[in-house]
Amino acid sequence: MLQAFNFRIILEYMPLYSQCFMATLWLSAVSLIGALLIGTAACAMRIGHYRPLARIAVIYIESIRSTPLLAQLYLVYFGLPSLGIRMSEEMTGILVLTLNSGAYMAEIIRGGIQSIPSGHIEAGIASGLNYFQRMRYIILPPALGATLPAMLGQAIVLVKDSALLSLISIMELTRAGQILTSERFMPVEGFLTTAAFYLLIYYILKSLTSWSQKRLIFREIH
Amino acid sequence: MGNTGFEKKITLLRPNDIKPTFFKKIAAMGIKDMITFKNVNKWFGKHHVLKEINLNVEPGEVLVVCGPSGSGKSTLLRCINRLESLQSGEIIIDGIKVHGRETNITKLRAEIGFVFQQFNLYPHMTAIENITIAPIKVRKLKKEVARKLGQEILDKVGLGDKAGSYPSQLSGGQQQRVAIARGLCMQPKIMLFDEPTSSLDPEMINEVLDVIRNLANEGMTMIVVTHEMGFAREAANRVAFIDEGRLVEIAPPEKFFKNPKNERTRLFLSKILAR
Amino acid sequence: MWGYYLEQLIGSLPLFLKGLGITAAVSILSLVGGTIIGFFLGVIRAGGIKPVRFLIGGWVDLIRGTPFLVQLFIVFFIFPDVGIHLDALPAAVLSLTNLSACFICEIVAGGILAVPAGQKEAAAASGLSAYQQMRYLVMPQAMPTILPPLVGQYVLLIKDSSVISVIGVVDITRVGWLTVQRIPEGLMVFGLVGILYFIICYPIIRFSNLLEKRMKFGKYRF
Repeated sequence: MLQAFNFRIILEYMPLYSQCFMATLWLSAVSLIGALLIGTAACAMRIGHYRPLARIAVIYIESIRSTPLLAQLYLVYFGLPSLGIRMSEEMTGILVLTLNSGAYMAEIIRGGIQSIPSGHIEAGIASGLNYFQRMRYIILPPALGATLPAMLGQAIVLVKDSALLSLISIMELTRAGQILTSERFMPVEGFLTTAAFYLLIYYILKSLTSWSQKRLIFREIH
Repeated sequence: MGNTGFEKKITLLRPNDIKPTFFKKIAAMGIKDMITFKNVNKWFGKHHVLKEINLNVEPGEVLVVCGPSGSGKSTLLRCINRLESLQSGEIIIDGIKVHGRETNITKLRAEIGFVFQQFNLYPHMTAIENITIAPIKVRKLKKEVARKLGQEILDKVGLGDKAGSYPSQLSGGQQQRVAIARGLCMQPKIMLFDEPTSSLDPEMINEVLDVIRNLANEGMTMIVVTHEMGFAREAANRVAFIDEGRLVEIAPPEKFFKNPKNERTRLFLSKILAR
Repeated sequence: MWGYYLEQLIGSLPLFLKGLGITAAVSILSLVGGTIIGFFLGVIRAGGIKPVRFLIGGWVDLIRGTPFLVQLFIVFFIFPDVGIHLDALPAAVLSLTNLSACFICEIVAGGILAVPAGQKEAAAASGLSAYQQMRYLVMPQAMPTILPPLVGQYVLLIKDSSVISVIGVVDITRVGWLTVQRIPEGLMVFGLVGILYFIICYPIIRFSNLLEKRMKFGKYRF
């Protein structure tokens, strides 16, 4: 019954959708920032010279990467209460998304750092810069530049992953589709509208990605 | 000079004083031209790369094409086996329209050996695999037969001992000789060379040119795009000069080098020979 | 209390193994289907005629731009609306196959386009047909680029398969979700779920890393 697509019902639910759209953006943005911080820290631990810390980072990264986000979400959602910790659904969602994306971010940042020619680092050592100075001035700027496309790719993944938060009844885009489906039994309108909003975010991030890739190539030539 | 073992032959034979048997045989069959260009025009977008090219190459003839970079000489060569399309005019090879709709292009390409400036050897195959893949897959030769043929041809280009080497283990000159062998292994009617020595170190140029010279002596029909004017002088039957997509001048080497008719040819020659 | 739950959990271990079987079966089915379709689409995307390339690219963007959960809802809730009735399991396999086909398509097309154009020209110039060029020259050279991310994609596929629990397919995640209703020890239950996923995914991740190293250093020498 795609020909009988009901635009009126979408208009009617537009306030809900825009509210949920903002929620998805907000949840993703907060988690993205958190993931960047955790990812940087985990990466620093992993490539640092202190063994136990490196091992902890590896365990964190590998166990996150080897298990599905949904299982992680349920683990925290059902698991924290049994530890006696109470947390709002939103906090749980942000926590899980942050921890999940942080592991991938750590690997992306590590890839960026390893792409720096060792000659640059040696030159830094030779000119007397200490570890933090080398990181700050020689390694991180080009590494972040080189990883920008991958990070934007991870941002796309993060936005899509946030859809799973609807399963612990957080109000976001996918939840809006579910609500429209259950209240009016209109899954076509409900989920296609949801999909359209996700595509909007996707295309914006994708064009940012290709822009950053072009900039990168440009920089390599000059 | 190179190490191909053909030095003696080269001093004895000059393409212009002995007409090879192959050429005679073909000529006797009454076929006039091997390659014919008729009013060929080609554009890359708005850029007019080939302008009204008319040209014919007889069987057994060696045509050297020269010209400044970007003049369209590589494009001209690539049109012959339809690596490039045409916008108007036609190219006829051995009676077959290259850009004809019903032409079986893979079959036609099998008759034309093409040697690239960048060799384009297949990096995941050994030398012998590189040169036998097309005979096996296109000519449907048995593997052993193809290998035997391939080995003979490798011997001929002086690389008999390199059959099992990967391209990355060979020098530039050796790679280019394998590339030539790859063309020859299809036993083509025509060989086309697109600046075969331009990406080689100077000391490797001669070993490749020697191989090409030998082919010329055997009567292979060839078009060679090159800046090696020494080679053109001694191995070509005719030399063509292309500038800005136009065929400016075409003449036997003595004439071409001693008194070029066109001012632009003269300028080009003075530049290139001064190097 | 804890010991009692643990005992219960061990008692329901057969259920978990059954769930593992479903996860494995669904993953393998979609993996095989997705690989075949993905390679097919990828080859066309890299070298087909423009409108077809555009069409495939557009479809891939739609799938990459929306969360898998939403895609699954669309297949499960909207397809019946247009007269296609699918049970949960076929719906799950269909949407997972489609998802992996799209990602694999991009990987394959990328690998093919990374083969220097001169290789194809050389092959064409010696009279090999388009199929022969692809089969003997382009694919063997593209494979080292394709293989590591392809294997990585399989891990993503297995992890994404956890989402199908939402429409009632009794995979590992669903078993965990059902169990946690009886045994309210979220950490324990989903810890077990996580371990099961880890056992499958981690070796594949290691294998992918190994492939990547191999391909980087010993290109064309296997």
